[in-house]
Amino acid sequence: MTSVAAPPRRRRTGLRAVPKVIWFFLLIPAAVEVGMVFWPAVNSFYLSLTEWNGLGAAQPVGLDNFKNLFSDEIFRGALWNNVIWAVGFGGLSVVGGLALAVALNRPRRGVGLYRSAIYLPMVFSLAVTGLFWRVQYQPDGTINTLLGAIGLESVERQWLADPDTALYAVLIAAVWRQVGYVMVLYLAGLKSTDPTLDDASAVDGAGAWQRFRFVTWPQLRGVNTVVFAVTVIDSLRTFDIVWAMTQGGPYHSSELLSTYMFQQGFTFLNLGYASAIAVVIFVLALIFIITYLVRATKEEIA
Amino acid sequence: MSSAPFSRRGFLAGIGGIGAASLLGACATGSDDSAGAASSTLTLQSSLSDPDPKAALTKVVEGYGKTPVTLNTIAIETFRAQLPTYLNSGNPPDVLTWYAGSVARDYASKGFLLDVSDLWTGSGACANFSPALKELSTADGKQIFVPTNYYWWGVFYRKSAFQEWGVQVPTTWDEFIAVCKTIKSKGVAPISMGTGSTPWVASGWFDYLNLRINGAEFHRELLAGKHSFDGPEVKTVMDHYRQLVEYIDPKGRSYSWQDAVTPLTSKKAGMNLIGAFITSGVPSDAVDDLDFFRVPIIDPSVPVAEEAPTDGYFASAKSKNTAGAKELLSYLASAPAQQQFIQLAKSSNLPTSQAVDTSTFAPLVQKGIKLLNESKAITQFFNRDSSDELQTTADTALTKFLDKPGDVNKILAEWQESAKKVLGS
Repeated sequence: MTSVAAPPRRRRTGLRAVPKVIWFFLLIPAAVEVGMVFWPAVNSFYLSLTEWNGLGAAQPVGLDNFKNLFSDEIFRGALWNNVIWAVGFGGLSVVGGLALAVALNRPRRGVGLYRSAIYLPMVFSLAVTGLFWRVQYQPDGTINTLLGAIGLESVERQWLADPDTALYAVLIAAVWRQVGYVMVLYLAGLKSTDPTLDDASAVDGAGAWQRFRFVTWPQLRGVNTVVFAVTVIDSLRTFDIVWAMTQGGPYHSSELLSTYMFQQGFTFLNLGYASAIAVVIFVLALIFIITYLVRATKEEIA
Repeated sequence: MSSAPFSRRGFLAGIGGIGAASLLGACATGSDDSAGAASSTLTLQSSLSDPDPKAALTKVVEGYGKTPVTLNTIAIETFRAQLPTYLNSGNPPDVLTWYAGSVARDYASKGFLLDVSDLWTGSGACANFSPALKELSTADGKQIFVPTNYYWWGVFYRKSAFQEWGVQVPTTWDEFIAVCKTIKSKGVAPISMGTGSTPWVASGWFDYLNLRINGAEFHRELLAGKHSFDGPEVKTVMDHYRQLVEYIDPKGRSYSWQDAVTPLTSKKAGMNLIGAFITSGVPSDAVDDLDFFRVPIIDPSVPVAEEAPTDGYFASAKSKNTAGAKELLSYLASAPAQQQFIQLAKSSNLPTSQAVDTSTFAPLVQKGIKLLNESKAITQFFNRDSSDELQTTADTALTKFLDKPGDVNKILAEWQESAKKVLGS
């Protein structure tokens, strides 16, 4: 009798049934989280409303930093570059990664070699990737030499020194590295799809594209959430590769919010202004992630 | 897996152990800082992180017997960003490496730097330094800096290359342009300049043209915000700069200053206006062939000025052992320490002490000493005479100008706009 009645009762009084000592232990990680993550974050919100060079007390200036930001041409340029970056980096690495994953999904001779070769760039740090590509983009580097060899001298240019191409040149290098990562995520997703569905639709006469679009793609929804979140976060926090390749130059043409923030904060010690940029980055990331998560959860419920 | 070697309890105990150990460690170092460091050990915070200078300073510090010195070497970018924090902290490093000029004066005005005026008088270590150096190390009538070495800038070239091309060292602007023309006609880029990842080198020509046309006084005032970057004086400077643009190797836009030395040594470029640190980037077999000349005179009525960025040390005003800090500074400024440092660092830097025997130095270095002795005024460099933030406005303006010399008026107006923002803040 009692053993049957016990479980529901325990569930109803679940919270109270947790021993006090457990709560005490839970407090420790909570305190660490608050102290090491939330407190500094809140601090930077406060700093964004001040003028501070790291010395003495910060002078509160209200919303001046934000007002200055939006009249700052370099900031607006960086914001626009971030939009280009998010679209280009996200789009290219997702499309490229998915295409590679689909192409390399079927077991075939040497497929493991291809997969590891494509994933290989991911093991390099972004700074190393940046240095590697900087050599390729040199005026006498591989890319210009190749273009010259196939008779395209007119296309040759100083990729990283030309304000029209610098951002895209860095973008290509970043995508080159990211594409292997996205491919691995999608490969994992494809492994969890049901192959019998694919076979069945093939028997029913569905073409390759139809099978992918209507059978495989819907099964990748879970992976898509992960890929989207990872890509948005990665594109907003991009810093090292741009810093290693152009430092935002020439004349701010490849500046991103993160590089501009770094320069303002750590080279010029305008910590208030830099915090304001950080707040903008934070808000942007939050908007993207929350909208997507809300949409994703709604779909899951429906 | 059934007999897990690491039980959860064991793991937790381990964590606790680590925590306790680090707490104990913190106690130990804590007491060390408050009692030990103040009385006996001095801290020397150094930004010299390149291997040769770092090894040289380590050796020099080892030779100091009076008090034990802890040498902390920090990468220069971090050092630059952290410097205000070091100086403002409760227990700051006693002595720090840095530059003379506006940055040091700025810190002095905030009261962070130790007054070392007594080293500059009587039998003090800096008493025999030149008046120009003393003026450079002075803020509000007090000396706050101890310069220990400096270097010169010049137009570097290879003697054998000039011979091959049949050109002579120019002394006037017209001769210089003629040399550029001749070198270009040989299919060689006359001027190599790495403005890619080191855009600040573009300020070298700007500084020099301004010094030659408007003089050192105007240059200093311009960088202090007393004149406008789109005024008629700067426009004349840019007119001259514009004459150079066609002779500057366009590939330099992708290079760093180090990369830009390679074409010079391989005779694919003729000249390079750069500091004496260029010798560290030239292969040893080409160093003897390397020579330099003074940036040509444009207006003979303007007193000749040269750039001579000066490095050295200052001490923190909050140092717990100011007497010890001053003694260490005196040692670092002494002739033997200067000589030892310069030789071990394998640099082409010049000693600030006149007691250093320079006769053993390379002929190139001797020529550098002569160059500076003959000049009427000394400036530092754009960033050292202003600030790193103003330097980036120059980088933006000048690299844009090198790409689009035709837009010079618009570029100068933008430069003035951004300079005003920097100087106003």
